[in-house]
Amino acid sequence: MSSRCLAVLIDSPKKFAAHILSLIFIFSAFQVSAESTRDYMAVVNRPNLFHLIDLQDEKILRSCELPAEVSPGTVVMSADKSVAYILGGRFDRIYGVAISNCELVFDSQFSKANIRRKSFASLAVSRDGSEIYSVHNPVAIMNDHYQIQSPQFVVYRAQDGIGAEPIRSYPIPRQINIMATGLDGRVYLSGPDVYALDPQTGDLSVAIASRNADRQGYGQPDILTVWPVGSINDEFIRMYSIPKYAKNSESIEDASLLWGYEKVDLVTGDVSVKDFAPLEEVLFTGMLRPHHPDEFYGVLTKLKRHQVSTQSVIKSIDLERTYYCINFSSDGSKIYLGGTYNDIAIYDAETLNKLGNIVLPGGDMSMSTPQVFSLSSNLATERSIALSPNNNE
Amino acid sequence: MKHLKPMNNKAKLVDAAISKDDTDSERLNEVVAMQSVVGCTGTTDPGWEVDAFGGVAGLCQPMESDLYGCADPCWWPAQVPDIMNTYPDWGKEAGSAGSDWRKLGEVFPADKK
Repeated sequence: MSSRCLAVLIDSPKKFAAHILSLIFIFSAFQVSAESTRDYMAVVNRPNLFHLIDLQDEKILRSCELPAEVSPGTVVMSADKSVAYILGGRFDRIYGVAISNCELVFDSQFSKANIRRKSFASLAVSRDGSEIYSVHNPVAIMNDHYQIQSPQFVVYRAQDGIGAEPIRSYPIPRQINIMATGLDGRVYLSGPDVYALDPQTGDLSVAIASRNADRQGYGQPDILTVWPVGSINDEFIRMYSIPKYAKNSESIEDASLLWGYEKVDLVTGDVSVKDFAPLEEVLFTGMLRPHHPDEFYGVLTKLKRHQVSTQSVIKSIDLERTYYCINFSSDGSKIYLGGTYNDIAIYDAETLNKLGNIVLPGGDMSMSTPQVFSLSSNLATERSIALSPNNNE
Repeated sequence: MKHLKPMNNKAKLVDAAISKDDTDSERLNEVVAMQSVVGCTGTTDPGWEVDAFGGVAGLCQPMESDLYGCADPCWWPAQVPDIMNTYPDWGKEAGSAGSDWRKLGEVFPADKK
């Protein structure tokens, strides 16, 4: 504070008092805000456990038992973050768990009678939280043969709770896996291309041509994803590997193999397709670092930090073991690695130095997708209903 | 298919069928590789023996860390039992593949009762 300002305050005691009060108010408000909103992680593991982790304290707040086993363990948070929806039951069931008290608020089994329905990590929630979306891949199991049926995009009403059934369904292409809901209500679906679907009408369009892209000088992209990461950035994202041909050649022998990503900004609807690095290792998931749009990180048995604009590797480290799934803190300072076994590994996003592990009670996460989200701490710790017997408090 | 090389007799027959004249009514449609393979789809990805580059550095390590990630989605039903449909209880007594792998045995098709 300059001496001139100090002189003005001393000259006017009332003003001085008012300023002090304002400063106290601002400081208090800042403190409340800083204390009340923090990062959490929702994750599931074997045999049937859901965990809520306080990432600031790196402590498990609550462990809840689900009615049945959890694979694939795809977690998507409700709009207000109060409910974690989980695709489980061996790809055949959606659970909704209130994170504040372990109450099961939603439960729907897909398969009925001789129709087996599976969903490959396809789960999303509407922006107002009133509807839950998934994809059913049905097959009729007959006495002597199977009849493959057409996949359906299905809509559930969240308030239908236990035993909910789809209220609408629409035909969609095959091979759909991850999904995410945009701010305009459209649902983006990962398949041979990235599709945008209006869940009110079923109107389907191609948001990003992938298999059907015609990128001059490139071959066809190859994509593996069953992990809907990206929610901390409010984006739908999936990686591809692709051959980029040498000039005047379409020979795979002369091509450079690259990593890239296809992204939908879920707020604006803008799409982008960018190569970000040479393909040196297999990676399973990757994300843009929050607040650093030129940095893309990928993981499998290595953790790699890339600069997108130069398509270069900033840093790469060997991990102690394989992790399938990457996530970031909301400020982009920390990396959380999950999947495979039962611990979350924490790394510094800048240096890639290891910061620690959070070990989950129970068995393997396998291919589950942990989700990181910010929430007022009193909402996450509220207890209105008795905790499940398995909570670890 | 132009970047794929047939390695066995069946693949050679497929190659031959595709290379028939366009006017031939028996010509097969071009096979388009599945872009998002999941779910008992007979993937031809390299397994735990060799990675996509012909080495081992890209494999999941240790292989037990990848075991349920391959069994849950029926990724390699020939190598590990299909937990999704056929052998749902295969890993029931082995929550951690890393420490409980001795409890994971072979499976055999059973007659319907």
